[in-house]
Amino acid sequence: MPASVAIVGTGPSGCYLAQALLKARPDLRVDLIDRLPVPYGLVRYGVAADHQGTKAVTRQFERLFERQGARFIGNLDIGADVTLDDLRGCYDAVVLAAGLSVDRCLQIPGEDLAGVATAGEVIRALNEHPDSKALPPLGRRVVVMGNGNVAIDLVRLLAKSGEELAGTDLGEGPSAWLQSAGVEAIDIIGRSPAAQAKFDPVMVKELHRLAHVRIAVEGAGSTEDAEAQKRLDALAAIDGTTHGDRQLTFRFGLTPLAIEGQDGRVTAARFRDASGVEVTIPCDTVLTAIGFQSCTNLSRDDLLVDALDLDAGVLAAGLYATGWFRRGPRGTIPDNRTDAQVLAARILNDLGETGGKPGLPATEGLVDHAGWKRIDAAELAGARPGRCRRKIADRQTMLEIAQDR
Amino acid sequence: MNITVLYGTETGNAEMLAEDVAAHLEGAHEVACTNLSDFAPADFDPGQFYLVICSTYGDGELPASAKPFAEAMEAEMPDLAGVHFAIFGLGDTEYEDTHNFGSRIIAEMLQARGASQIGERVLHDASGGDMADDLAMDWADSVVELAAQQMKEDA
Repeated sequence: MPASVAIVGTGPSGCYLAQALLKARPDLRVDLIDRLPVPYGLVRYGVAADHQGTKAVTRQFERLFERQGARFIGNLDIGADVTLDDLRGCYDAVVLAAGLSVDRCLQIPGEDLAGVATAGEVIRALNEHPDSKALPPLGRRVVVMGNGNVAIDLVRLLAKSGEELAGTDLGEGPSAWLQSAGVEAIDIIGRSPAAQAKFDPVMVKELHRLAHVRIAVEGAGSTEDAEAQKRLDALAAIDGTTHGDRQLTFRFGLTPLAIEGQDGRVTAARFRDASGVEVTIPCDTVLTAIGFQSCTNLSRDDLLVDALDLDAGVLAAGLYATGWFRRGPRGTIPDNRTDAQVLAARILNDLGETGGKPGLPATEGLVDHAGWKRIDAAELAGARPGRCRRKIADRQTMLEIAQDR
Repeated sequence: MNITVLYGTETGNAEMLAEDVAAHLEGAHEVACTNLSDFAPADFDPGQFYLVICSTYGDGELPASAKPFAEAMEAEMPDLAGVHFAIFGLGDTEYEDTHNFGSRIIAEMLQARGASQIGERVLHDASGGDMADDLAMDWADSVVELAAQQMKEDA
């Protein structure tokens, strides 16, 4: 019997790893396990609804199941439904590719005020993740803290008009939320100087195409570094855009001090600038986009501390980690492809010719690839005019469709 | 015909498409499929017809797997007279200003060294309604036919 590999997490990191393993060793048993009834993790729930082109990688990942013989095991939460030790008992190798999905907090006063939310919560809710919270009340004056790609995604979506969302898979509720708020101003605040901002230049340049915005960039400064200069060039390219009334203002070098409120609701965000002067920005909504941490039922911190060779992705004999779960919340989808290819070579080397563990036994309540395809078909068939898909946001409904033979 | 499908990829989409095109042509032709990262300018052979499939990444840049090839082209300045190629680009009009620059860079680079382009550079838009496969198979069939005529005339 050929060796068996379980990959926990079916986002890009997990799928790219399965792809690399099966390309080299088509005879392997590779099971891709997700705690949700649907696959693809970040591509489905993290990539913004108006970047459908980026989601095209799922066409590659579908082939894992359709042609390369990988199995999908959905609706199975490793660490809760099955322990990691039990899983390791069933497979010759287990790889944790579960990503990082809990938002980091600022840890400043006022984070519990109404009108304050994390970008991850909002992006998940906009993408209709079954475990997402309700979308927070959205005011007219929004402060976005953070200037990575997640922050830029959020700013772009908040600044788009209804017609600019055509062709997306944005649902009815999220569409209404974005359109009914009447956002007038968005301040995008970076703690670091612009040269050290986390966004990709192409993400910022894209904002120039928004139909209804005015864009100002304050205090971007200068740099000697060629890579950093690309970020400053991107900001310079959008500075002064006058396509409409929604005001976007980029500000840099502001350290958050507190979020202020009245009657339990946010009224302003307070910062300190590089020269020590306090800056107060009145607002009714604060969205924080300052990075992610682990959220699964897997004790990532303990696993990483005890890792045999974390750089190589080896946590213990027969136990591996890849993607954000290994590296932390840095890097793009293709960065995780590179990671996966390196780790696949290591795993294949470690496996050698050994093997024979049979994988997880069949269990009630799980979703296989055919079940996912039934959910997928229902979502595609349900798309309303102007949308390419109508996501099913409720786990129970997903399971009913998946199991409806 | 002897055909080499070359691909430049960053997310793997161009690689998948190249493999599909190679499989599509295989019955009737001798086909190889190679990542540009594994291909040197000195490997070009006028006896082969090259189908290049290349995406675009970042700010209108070449995808990661095409970058070492581009650097080698610049360093070695090979003479590609007599080499025929056709090119298919993958891009996304979400990034309108730099849409499909990757395939353009490769096409210009090959032409500058004397290679002959067969047919138009066909561009796929990931944000559009067409499947890349549908476009690419028709493209491959038509450029292979054009190349057969052209290479016969040249010979």
